[in-house]
Amino acid sequence: MSSATLAGLVGAALVGLGLYGVIADPQPLRKILAFNLIGSGVFLVFGIVARKGAAAGLSADPVPQAMVITGIVVAFAASALAVALTLRLFEETGRATLRPDAGTKPPDDGADAE
Amino acid sequence: MTEGASAFAATAGGSLLALPILVPAAGVLLSFLLGGRQAERIALALMPVQFGFAVAIASLIWRSGQPLVYVLGGYAPPLGIALRADGFSAVMLVTTSLIMPAAGLYARTNFATPNDGTERRAPLVFWTLLQAIQAALSLIFLGGDLFNLYVALELLTFAAAPLVCLDGRPETLAAALRYLMFALFGALFYLLGVALLYGAYGTLDIVLLSRQIRAEPAVWLAAGLMTAGLLAKTALFPLHLWLPPAHANAPAAASAVLSGLVVKGSFFLIVRLWFNVLPALPNAVPGAILAALGSAAILAGSALALRQERLKLLIAYSTVAQIGYLFLMFPLASGPWSAEAFSGGVMQALSHAFAKAAMFLSAGLIAESLGHDRIAGLGGAGRAMPVTFLALGLGGLSLMGLPPSGGFAAKWLLMKASIEAGQWVWAVVMLAGGLLAGGYLYRVLAPALSGNRPRLKSPPRRSRENVALALALAAVLLAFAPPTFFAFLQIGRPAAGAALR
Amino acid sequence: MSALAAAAQEFGPGLLVAALAAPLVVLAVVLSPKLRFAALAMSPLAPLPALAAAILAIGGAPFEGELPGLRMSFRLDLPGAILLAAAALVWIAASVFARADWTGRPNAERFAVSWLLTMAGSLGVFVAADLLTFYLVYALVSVPAYYLIADDEDAGSSRAGGVYLAFTLIGEAVLLIAFVMLAAGEPGGSLDIRAVVDALPASPWRDAALALLILGFGMKIALAPLNGWMPLAYAAAPIPAAAVLSGAAVKAGVIGLIRFLPLGAALPGWGEALAWAGFVSAFYGVAIGLTQRDPKTILAYSSISQMGVIAAVLGLGLAGADQNAASDAAFYAANHVLVKAALFLSVGVAAALTGRGRSPALIVAAALALSLGGLPLTGGALAKLAVKGTLGDGVAGAVAAASAAATTALMLHFFIRLARSDNDGKAASPQRILSWLALAFASMLVPWLMFPAVGGDLADALATATLWDAIWPMLIGAALAAGLWALGEPLPRIPAGDIVVAQEAAFRASAPPLGAAFERLDWRLRQWPAAGLSLLTIALALAAAGFASR
Repeated sequence: MSSATLAGLVGAALVGLGLYGVIADPQPLRKILAFNLIGSGVFLVFGIVARKGAAAGLSADPVPQAMVITGIVVAFAASALAVALTLRLFEETGRATLRPDAGTKPPDDGADAE
Repeated sequence: MTEGASAFAATAGGSLLALPILVPAAGVLLSFLLGGRQAERIALALMPVQFGFAVAIASLIWRSGQPLVYVLGGYAPPLGIALRADGFSAVMLVTTSLIMPAAGLYARTNFATPNDGTERRAPLVFWTLLQAIQAALSLIFLGGDLFNLYVALELLTFAAAPLVCLDGRPETLAAALRYLMFALFGALFYLLGVALLYGAYGTLDIVLLSRQIRAEPAVWLAAGLMTAGLLAKTALFPLHLWLPPAHANAPAAASAVLSGLVVKGSFFLIVRLWFNVLPALPNAVPGAILAALGSAAILAGSALALRQERLKLLIAYSTVAQIGYLFLMFPLASGPWSAEAFSGGVMQALSHAFAKAAMFLSAGLIAESLGHDRIAGLGGAGRAMPVTFLALGLGGLSLMGLPPSGGFAAKWLLMKASIEAGQWVWAVVMLAGGLLAGGYLYRVLAPALSGNRPRLKSPPRRSRENVALALALAAVLLAFAPPTFFAFLQIGRPAAGAALR
Repeated sequence: MSALAAAAQEFGPGLLVAALAAPLVVLAVVLSPKLRFAALAMSPLAPLPALAAAILAIGGAPFEGELPGLRMSFRLDLPGAILLAAAALVWIAASVFARADWTGRPNAERFAVSWLLTMAGSLGVFVAADLLTFYLVYALVSVPAYYLIADDEDAGSSRAGGVYLAFTLIGEAVLLIAFVMLAAGEPGGSLDIRAVVDALPASPWRDAALALLILGFGMKIALAPLNGWMPLAYAAAPIPAAAVLSGAAVKAGVIGLIRFLPLGAALPGWGEALAWAGFVSAFYGVAIGLTQRDPKTILAYSSISQMGVIAAVLGLGLAGADQNAASDAAFYAANHVLVKAALFLSVGVAAALTGRGRSPALIVAAALALSLGGLPLTGGALAKLAVKGTLGDGVAGAVAAASAAATTALMLHFFIRLARSDNDGKAASPQRILSWLALAFASMLVPWLMFPAVGGDLADALATATLWDAIWPMLIGAALAAGLWALGEPLPRIPAGDIVVAQEAAFRASAPPLGAAFERLDWRLRQWPAAGLSLLTIALALAAAGFASR
């Protein structure tokens, strides 16, 4: 197994794990972590892409690396913002979950009321 | 394809393209630097400047009949990054530069800087974020590089999400967090798609990609991922979970910007993707999927709007529905009717931007004056504040697609294209959507103009009512857009640009 | 004549624009609180440009006009001019009649805005020359009228308004898609109504477009079973509003059929279908109308019946490629504009009069009522004569005669109900009585003036055979009415709006559960896991769709 394939598989595994976390877990903090897992997976894919970019005639394509660095900055900012909001939510309500639907009423399940 | 080398050579006046991004970005920095008391002044002073740039860009494009190009730092793509503005970019820029100051003027009351010189958090954040949204939107409308657009997209989310929770109430915090998380989730899909495209072609420049792109698995996977990610940010049904609470709980001026402009940013990129990056590929089935989701959005969003008990939630669900109309242009993207479909989609984006901004501002005035926005409690309110309800009603006219309104023009064009293409199902959905819109507006407007005037906590300020009314009138005036306007929209649209003018 | 024709070419185009603009100018002034009542006093003058344009077009020659900046174009031809003249007269009279209502009403401002918008639309439909202009003025004549109907704000008015609005919006939607099909079927891309209708017989969307046009305009003219809104609306609206709605506004549907049916192309299938629908409606309206007690409701059912006759005439014209059907039907409709509006004003006047003034008023009302049945020497007789050519002497002619008999019976029923109706306690202002008398007079005179323009022969109208042809169906109708009365009105009481009761019940039974189902669906889809899975599914579906369409 070449290192590129390995990196690809690891990237895919990270994305898959992260996807599961983001979709299934109601805790915002865990969602933020899962989000970062997906991000790492995607950055790994970019890494492989950089090797493949050699086909364009460069010994190693620098552009994806620039993108990964930018992406990490963006992901960091996103995580910071999300954590700040989660903290604020916890301070205000004493809990932090995305499950309840603030501001909208749940429908009556079963028969119609009107 | 006749652009040839010109795609990478900066056109005359191309350097103008950097300004709509730089100016609000500079405004953000200045606002931080000079402190909260100056943020409002900086934001309001720069907005007319921004409008001037937008109009200048539009007129340059109109005069040359070609997209404007600017190559940053002189490094040509694929290594460098290009800014490009076509007809669609220009009208979106102008629209943004009109709605932003409207929201700003309206918000002066809510986010006024205290006279005693103390610095408060909410005004500083509001005025700074407003400029940040404008910078991000400009970058989205002008960017020519898919990764660059990813950054713009994230900037837009970072600026938009905190606007939702400016007043710090718990439900607004939850709404903002949901919005942020789902948008971030979508952005990762987009980023993964970008990585795949770069892996396949070694470039992310839109024009370069569109020349090399072939129908192959990596491309389709990338297109699916990128589109889905953008749909999450556009809140196309069934990915709308974040939109109603976020738009309904944000301050009115923020709601107007979020509903009118911010969702159009990611929509703009979907159009870029399918019309500028992938136009050469067969796209009938993906287009039909998008339009089917759009149809579901129209029907479900309108039906849900009918069931809401609060005015702002009703308007937010109406946004869910109106976003659906935007996606009916995709299955009609190829064929002799494609120019009509494109114009219809763009017209829908513009008219909804103005109409929805007007409606959210009106709803804000209603909520402030009555102290609530329960629809059941609106009886007679239209008599107490007629101008506000006129703005609400004119905005509604456009949503229903009754003439004269931009919404009518959009519906007419989209319907004509769908009939000509033999895809009448979209036309039927549009009719049903118009009827349901009539229903939910009737729920609001019929009682509002009947019965006794309610006691107002405070009458709305005339200047703020006029801002809402001006936006609603803009939505109406779009109905009278001359044929040259539609020709302008086609500037820079690949492939079908030659088919119909 | 040539002087009029020259004047038509000279002033016509400007007058067409002025016809639409005048009510809107008054409206703009109304919005200023200081000038409001002065402007409202001027509202009877707002239809004058339209009237002048109509006179020029009838006496001179057809003409066109446009507003290039707004991309609106206008054309006044003979059918349009005949209807425009009648509609303008009704709007003038009704505006004078309504003037007493402007002040003191709690809803005066709202009523005035709806009134003037409806007026602009009502006059505009007869002069609109392209699809978009027509659709705009058609919406104007339809949608703002909601507030004329729901003016009283009681439960009945709200229900009537809601039902009216539902029918109106569905009709608008149906017409929109029909218009889109018309535009798509015109290869040159023209939006001119004549061009798109000329291209219709060869259009790939011909049948769909015709079906939708008939459905959409059929809702406006209340063809059974789409008739339910009309009795509710006219009974709920204040008297002057009912007069303009039943007289002028409903003719938007008639001019729509006249303009958009390709009368020059023989389409027997569609023509006969429309004719049958029209005849069914003509008798259905009478049958239900005879069971009603409220004079305004009875008049509404008479409108349903009369609109059915017009639809039948146009249907037969379409079947037989009869170009004259357009102006004949327009003439018939114009008579109905004047008479029906005058009848509604009669209801208001009769309710306000007591004692000695009441009997002469009732006599005038009786003459108006019988005009609809075709009483000789009235406009109604001329109207029946005008459409005789299209109806012919065969089955259609016999059915039309039977319909005249039925109408006579219905109008006698109306008269009895009117005579028995109570005084409403309001004093009859001289203004109201004069405007009503003027309109009644106009409804007798104007058809005689316009009859030659549609190729009618006045001598023929006075011939003995013609008079007899008009009288015998009326005698049968009178006998029928007398019989019903003598039996003590044995007919079952059917609620006003008849079939709409079932339509409302069906709506109430289906809409809330459907809405609740959407709400539950929305709740599930907005849960995080569901939305996340949706996102993943959409991404994969789009990618798969791409592979598939390779």
